[in-house]
Amino acid sequence: MGLVLENVRKSYSGKNVVDNISFNMDKPGVFGLLGTNGAGKTTTIRMILGIIKKDSGSITWNGKSVERKNVNFGYLPEERGIYPKIKIYDQLMYFAELKGMKKQEAEDEIKKWAEKLQVSEYLNMQAEKLSKGNQQKIQFMTAILHDPDLIILDEPFSGLDPINSGLLKDVIIELINRGKYIIMSSHQMMSIEEFCKDVVILNKGKTVLSGNLNEIKSKYPANRINLITNKNVDDIIKKCNIEIYINKENQYELKINSEADGNKLFKELSKTDVEVTKFEIMKPSLNDIFIEKVGK
Amino acid sequence: MRDFLTVAKFTINDVVRRKSFIISNIIMFAIIVILFNVPNIMKAFNVNSDENTKLLIVDNENIFNGNLEAIKQMNIPYDIEITNDNLGFDNIKEKINNEEIDEAIILSSKENNISMDYIVDNLMYVENVPEDIVSAISNIYTNMQILKLGLSEEEIKSISPNFEFNMKQTEEQEVQGNNFVMMILSLVLFYAIYFYAYQVSTSITTEKTSKIIETLVTSTTPKVIVLGKTIGMCIVGLFQIIAMVIVALISKNLFLEEGMLDGIINLENLTPYLAIIAIVYFILGYAVYALLYALTGSTVSKPEDVQSANGPVAIVAVLGFYLAYFTMMNPTSELNKIAALLPISSPFCMPFRVMMGIASTSEVIISVAILLVSILVVAKISIKIYSQAILNYGSKISFKDAFKLYKNKNV
Repeated sequence: MGLVLENVRKSYSGKNVVDNISFNMDKPGVFGLLGTNGAGKTTTIRMILGIIKKDSGSITWNGKSVERKNVNFGYLPEERGIYPKIKIYDQLMYFAELKGMKKQEAEDEIKKWAEKLQVSEYLNMQAEKLSKGNQQKIQFMTAILHDPDLIILDEPFSGLDPINSGLLKDVIIELINRGKYIIMSSHQMMSIEEFCKDVVILNKGKTVLSGNLNEIKSKYPANRINLITNKNVDDIIKKCNIEIYINKENQYELKINSEADGNKLFKELSKTDVEVTKFEIMKPSLNDIFIEKVGK
Repeated sequence: MRDFLTVAKFTINDVVRRKSFIISNIIMFAIIVILFNVPNIMKAFNVNSDENTKLLIVDNENIFNGNLEAIKQMNIPYDIEITNDNLGFDNIKEKINNEEIDEAIILSSKENNISMDYIVDNLMYVENVPEDIVSAISNIYTNMQILKLGLSEEEIKSISPNFEFNMKQTEEQEVQGNNFVMMILSLVLFYAIYFYAYQVSTSITTEKTSKIIETLVTSTTPKVIVLGKTIGMCIVGLFQIIAMVIVALISKNLFLEEGMLDGIINLENLTPYLAIIAIVYFILGYAVYALLYALTGSTVSKPEDVQSANGPVAIVAVLGFYLAYFTMMNPTSELNKIAALLPISSPFCMPFRVMMGIASTSEVIISVAILLVSILVVAKISIKIYSQAILNYGSKISFKDAFKLYKNKNV
């Protein structure tokens, strides 16, 4: 059940833009759709939404072919768009009505989400008078007003300041808690790691990595140490044959080949009078994995 | 159906709330009111316009022997004075300069001819030569000469009988109305159809350039968007035209004197049937062009490309209009009948033929049927191309590309 893509293909002018992609999202939560520019993410999203038709393969939602009548979608596109001359409230009402909401119900939802996203004061303003970040929050509202089952967020945090990012994150957490299926496409790996349980990484239209994020990471050996000390320990680190990647006022990021390297360093540091504020042996981040998979 | 209405309602609200729409309407209504006030304005600026021209007829040689007095009985806009005083050009000039008279005619005999010198202050400002007066003087002289011959009344009647002038036509269809109304009706229909159809294109391009289309196509179908917009804009157009007609009727009743339009428009021709026909053809003609503009509007990604993309449709519209307009000069011609059937020209042509009373019911039905079929065909093509072109943000789509998009079954 949930969303299932099987062997989906799409080509333009003989060029495979999406080449035999398969993944499934069988539980509510956030699914990460990653890839470089031109990897086929937007085309995949458009096929899921039914805006463009696939050449072959199948896309199903709860066992039924993906069509507007079968799926209650919410979509925040990467290309931000808003009617510049029309009042925010009218725009939100328009999209809510198109999604089948009744006027009173739409009005209540608009008020509720506007308060949560702190845009109530802008509802009677023309869109062009709003800042880019506020416009983005309005567009996010159009994606979730109608309480969709499947929500697709394409670069939801781009262009937002930390406070607005925080507001958006709170809403996404609320949606997760309400059992929504969310597909998130982003270049901000921190955000993906923060929310996604499962990911698929696309490169030139092909799947290069797919699965549960924790399982993927567990397959990778530890490769870094985060170390903070009260004085310079370059000599001790070099003695352990460990490469110093960054040293910023005794805040180290070290590259290691295995956890054993880390343990060895920890023992050496223990023998000295150096005060260790932080010592963390780290698995590769999603960013590292992404670069390894598509950066070659 | 609900979505159609939602898109139509949103389109209507979007258009009627624009400042440009409100201002252009105010200007248009003001122009209508001013047009109906033109006679009053002319009166206000030319207070003497009602005064007759003062004309002095000078018969120095007393050739007419007092018979010219008959001219004063004529119903003409002249205050005529006749004199036998010996006045020459310089005397007349002085009288005109002193504003004693406006014009003068000096009569003199030269051998067997009568010479008339028509004197005004400046020939450049002469609108019409007083032909009635010249003709009357000529007739008076002829009658005087006939009387001199001593002919009997019967002989005089046989020389100048009363002529009867009758007009008849060989074609069976009787044409009513006049060219002025034809011109106004065609122009209004063309302007209305073209203007509102063009708005559909602008609206679609705006949605594409502002990227709102990405959200819109996931909220409803391309068919709903195109048809909803077309319907919405059509409703705005209809109401605007009706408002213009109401303003015109109120202005006519308020500002024009009774019967002032009789010489220009035969109000008997403006029947409810003609109004219905004009509305039907506005809707159908608008639909054809609006859907064509929906197609071209969806092929561009930048506002500056809109005009060039819409060029072909504009050419078709202008061709259609001129085909209708010029063939209306000869409304019973075969070419006008064809223009009334072609979907690109029939909206501008058929209402005129109906008004003239030369369109049969079957012709109207066939013409409407052709328009309906054309709308279905154009709608199918436009929606198909629109569906594919709206998410293309590259350069303007060429005809060749558009054809490929239409042939693409994978949409």
